[in-house]
Amino acid sequence: MDPTLALHVVKNGLLIGGIYGGVALGLSLIFGVMRIINFAHGSMLMVAMYLAWGLWAGLGLHPYIGAIITVPALFGLGYLVQACIISHLFRREKAFVVEPLSALLLTAGVFLVMDNLVLMIFGPDVRAVSIDLAYANFFLGDIPINIPRFIAFVSAIGVAGVLSWWLKTSDMGRAIRATAQNRDAATMVGINVPLVYNITFGLGTAILGLFGALLVPFFSVTPTLGLAFGIKSFVVVVLGGIGSIWGCVVGGIVLGLFEAFASQFVTATSAQIFSFGLFVVILLVRPSGLLGKA
Amino acid sequence: MSNKALEVTNLSAGYGENDVLQGIDLTIPPKSITALIGANGAGKTTFLKTVTGLLPGRTGSIKLFGEELTSKKPYKIAEAGFALSPEGKQLFPEMTVEENLIVGAHNVRARSARNQTLEEVYSLFSILKEKRNDPAASLSGGQQQMVAVGRALMAKPKVLALDEPSLGLAPIMVDRLFESIARIRELDLAILIIEQNVFQVLEMADYGYVLENGEVTISGTGSELLANDHLKRAYLGL
Ligand SMILES: Nc1ncnc2c1ncn2[C@@H]1O[C@H](COP(=O)(O)OP(=O)(O)OP(=O)(O)O)[C@@H](O)[C@H]1O
Ligand SMILES: [Mg+2]
Repeated sequence: MDPTLALHVVKNGLLIGGIYGGVALGLSLIFGVMRIINFAHGSMLMVAMYLAWGLWAGLGLHPYIGAIITVPALFGLGYLVQACIISHLFRREKAFVVEPLSALLLTAGVFLVMDNLVLMIFGPDVRAVSIDLAYANFFLGDIPINIPRFIAFVSAIGVAGVLSWWLKTSDMGRAIRATAQNRDAATMVGINVPLVYNITFGLGTAILGLFGALLVPFFSVTPTLGLAFGIKSFVVVVLGGIGSIWGCVVGGIVLGLFEAFASQFVTATSAQIFSFGLFVVILLVRPSGLLGKA
Repeated sequence: MSNKALEVTNLSAGYGENDVLQGIDLTIPPKSITALIGANGAGKTTFLKTVTGLLPGRTGSIKLFGEELTSKKPYKIAEAGFALSPEGKQLFPEMTVEENLIVGAHNVRARSARNQTLEEVYSLFSILKEKRNDPAASLSGGQQQMVAVGRALMAKPKVLALDEPSLGLAPIMVDRLFESIARIRELDLAILIIEQNVFQVLEMADYGYVLENGEVTISGTGSELLANDHLKRAYLGL
């Protein structure tokens, strides 16, 4: 491959990969703490993107300012989905352990409802936020770097850093980690575990609120974009080692680079099929993920 | 203020269809050590799980210094002042020793006094101060047991329950642990202790209860129990 082209491919892969990592952070957090795979993860990103688009189209809010609304809104959405829907599973099973399959089915139900509701409200049309920033570049040597993508990439790393620091040092963060490591013991030391679950779910989706706003300047919005993002997030989480925050960023970058290189040889759609193939290979070779414990 | 640290009346609880506990009556006075004795499977751990709120009680009531705990949420029970060092330690394995202890002070009452309580726990178990930054899972069994007891103390309990703290420890560690428990007694709290070392625990305890098939069959002062014929035959092998 021509070296200049290779550099471009690496750049594209890094940028989109970091974003994949950022989008997957919430899925990893929720799985790490509650052992629940949120099938609706991608759909919640889709909802966040519609919200960011709506705030721009309706109120003229720049998406980066709209994030002030999309982040708490998505926190609320996640909190409510957990408190009103998923929590019933925990109650029914009495113990604090949920059978993975019933949680997956339930969140798949949430996914179907959300996708179809959005389709009903907004129709199948592609929506896009058009702001000048979308085409703005800066140059790193000879390589143009798209500014909104770069901002999303840096934010992904920033969110990962802030999240791991917060989990380490705050009282709620410690309570979340304790709950992840031993639910019964967390209950015994006086942690309000159901509340921890609600907050964890809300946090995981609040991150999607941020990325919804960061993505809309360069990513058009359709009611069906959730599924691909959801599955890729799942791939990223498994690649990076379940529950590992930095692993998530690394997993995202690996997936992004892989897709960028694959799309040099085949169409972008087939490149996605390759990423799912890569996922199967990694599961076979390193079942605990790249940064997870072997 | 009630003169009963813990007052349990007619408590039943169990798993599935069966009641493991069948109407337990048990009282613990303030500033005392009470031993709970019973064979394997008698329901001792089930009793403590029910008092902490991990397992719902089916009948009866639980009061802590007169405050009703029955069917309260576990975090409310911790806040009220009941702390448990559970059977099998149940630490947070990937967190450091100090983090395990700090999480122990999660309830609102304990949180403000956290740093001071931490120093108290470190002076009680000095090895934990040395190992404060090590992951809990890397400690020896005896040290992990100290973390479990220390974590329960961090909650600033009014009643502290210890479920088989000497389980799996070398004899020398058992002796040390009992010394520490004797020092904890000076912290002005009521201790409820479950032990396989029946002789050792009854020598130290002010009161004792014997649990058989989910019911209290014998109770009395430590020395009364040590002199009890049935107890001697069944638990002391005399
Ligand atoms: N999670 C559970 N589900 C169903 N049955 C249980 C459970 N835990 C304990 N049991 C049963 O309840 C009874 C009492 O058990 P428990 O653990 O309370 O006894 P114990 O007195 O603490 O015994 P040990 O000295 O072995 O710790 C036993 O018959 C046990 O098999
Ligand atoms: Mg037991």
